[in-house]
Amino acid sequence: MAKIKYTRIEGRSGGYYAFMAGSALVASLLPISALILFLQGHHVTGMTNQVPWGMPIVMAIYLIGVSAGSLVLSSMSTVFGKTEYKPFARVASMLAVVLIVAGLMAIIMDWGRPDRVLVPFFHFQPRSMFSLNAILYNAYMLIGFLYLVALFRENEVWAKRLGLSAVIIAVGVHSGTGAIFGFVYVRELYNSPLLPPSFIAAALSSGTALMIIVLKYTFDATGRKLDVGYIQGLGKLMGIFILVVLYLIFIENVTRSYAPKNYEASSFLLLHGGKFTFYFWVGLIGVGLVGPAAIVLNSATGSSVRWILAAAWLQLAGVLMERYLIVIPAQILPLELLPGMEITSVFLDGQFATYSVSAVEWMYSIGLFGVVAFAYGLAIRLWPMLPEEAVMQEPPA
Amino acid sequence: MDFDRRDFLRIGAAVTAGAAIGPVASAMTQVEKEGSTARRWGMVIDADKCSADCTVCVDACRTENNVPRFDDPKLDIHWIRKIAFRPKGIEGATERTFPAMCFHCEHPPCAHVCPVAATFVRPDGIVQVDKHRCIGCRYCVIACPYKARSFVAKHVEPKEGDNPKVPSRTHGVVEKCTLCAHRIDQGMQPACVEACQKKATGAMVFSDLNNPDTDASALLRTGRARQLRADLGCEPGVYYMGL
Ligand code: SF4
Ligand code: SF4
Repeated sequence: MAKIKYTRIEGRSGGYYAFMAGSALVASLLPISALILFLQGHHVTGMTNQVPWGMPIVMAIYLIGVSAGSLVLSSMSTVFGKTEYKPFARVASMLAVVLIVAGLMAIIMDWGRPDRVLVPFFHFQPRSMFSLNAILYNAYMLIGFLYLVALFRENEVWAKRLGLSAVIIAVGVHSGTGAIFGFVYVRELYNSPLLPPSFIAAALSSGTALMIIVLKYTFDATGRKLDVGYIQGLGKLMGIFILVVLYLIFIENVTRSYAPKNYEASSFLLLHGGKFTFYFWVGLIGVGLVGPAAIVLNSATGSSVRWILAAAWLQLAGVLMERYLIVIPAQILPLELLPGMEITSVFLDGQFATYSVSAVEWMYSIGLFGVVAFAYGLAIRLWPMLPEEAVMQEPPA
Repeated sequence: MDFDRRDFLRIGAAVTAGAAIGPVASAMTQVEKEGSTARRWGMVIDADKCSADCTVCVDACRTENNVPRFDDPKLDIHWIRKIAFRPKGIEGATERTFPAMCFHCEHPPCAHVCPVAATFVRPDGIVQVDKHRCIGCRYCVIACPYKARSFVAKHVEPKEGDNPKVPSRTHGVVEKCTLCAHRIDQGMQPACVEACQKKATGAMVFSDLNNPDTDASALLRTGRARQLRADLGCEPGVYYMGL
């Protein structure tokens, strides 16, 4: 394969400045909302003692997932021998690092005491998935970064070694993130051995979707040539990942629903959970998964760049919805303290909880997107992340 | 290559240092002191003796531990609460009540999930939260099967008449029933139990479950006391009769 020439973007156009100013503005919502949370306490959010985890956790696992997906894509050329994707290895691994940093920010600033950020470095609890993940996330960030350095140095041997380590640890990171929820044995909608693999599957599908969007828009905006074959190839790949996600969601729900003790939990999510049921069937299954999969796997729409781009947007939104549906409904269901009994109390025992995203949480979540966009814009301006052109030698298999 | 290699290395070194300190330092810290030694503090609560309109235990706890009321049921902090129950699907069944607090489980999921070991088990079985270490991640609130934990979501001003024997409150951390460890350590009973004994029906009995000669142990031997959700295997230290 001919040597790829990577260049920085010019970054002098009005469009670039507008993009950077816009994303900086949006990004500023994050520190503002985090400060409000820290000074005021969580009573300003939709989070309560019934639903202690809200949008910040949804965003955290979303960003961490997209990061893991990007990293695996970046390693397709270096580790899995799909050399036609080499032009995107740098930008994908850079995004992986940016996204994991944003994901960690989302977690930490949501703590009641973010000022104690160093405490997890000094106290360790090997049975806690959070504690183990702190190690995994750090290792992942580090290896992702070193891998990026190796890519920059065009050091094939090290790119391969670090890429492989990065893929392994990305699987670990995402299994671990799924296990945060999967291990919570007292909540029926969390407890599942399928959560780790389904986190990985959704990480891959959303990571691919992000890559499609980022590549298409950046190449267009900077006047670089991008073979449509790439977008088509990534689109197909995304479609396959989505099918895996759908399969895992199907198995998980069928298995859970089979046991009579879970009728209440399952029927809440699938039948009469109000907005959650709507989000599940329409938002996640329809718009987020089946829709985009149908678009990219259909031969007519699957070869149209516009359609694929639309599918990628749907999928990105769909996985955000998936993360929301993993985190929230399990907390809405009341805990069964006395199975077979109806219970009530001033602490709202036995009652379905409610949760809606507050203004501060919207600011927080949107701010995180701003941070990612700003960091991306800066990185492609500072370092040669993007190839001058991405032309296929041979069509992807 | 026109990127600045030195910049990269500089950031790289910083990231490396950050990532390396964490695991090494944390591996050195002590983790969990699970498993009681000589004593195992616990309770037996008889729901048949607990009257539905009585809140003596709850009030005593609020006074003893300065537990505030925000007058917002979603944010309120509850160390102990009265739970009313009746069988599902039976028309006209009587509603009865019992108090529930942290059960000081022998295998406490709250402590297992706590990433910084801020929640820990004392050798006598009391599960405590170190509020100076808690980072407020709320994983324990998610994991506790008994809804025993509350996150302090609002700033609380200390007020006139607060009990000075318990530490003051900070927002942003999780708290729960301490089994009145500060009283137990001075040979007293938890405030709720004392109040129930003195001012109500004596439905709550507290003692060392490892000692066969205590009232609670005698009640356990009747074979009529059971733990809530014993199926989960957390081994709560609080048993109920008459459920
Ligand atoms: S009742 Fe809940 S808070 Fe108390 S020890 Fe058990 S798991 Fe922990
Ligand atoms: S909120 Fe505090 S006590 Fe609970 S798991 Fe997190 S650090 Fe531990």
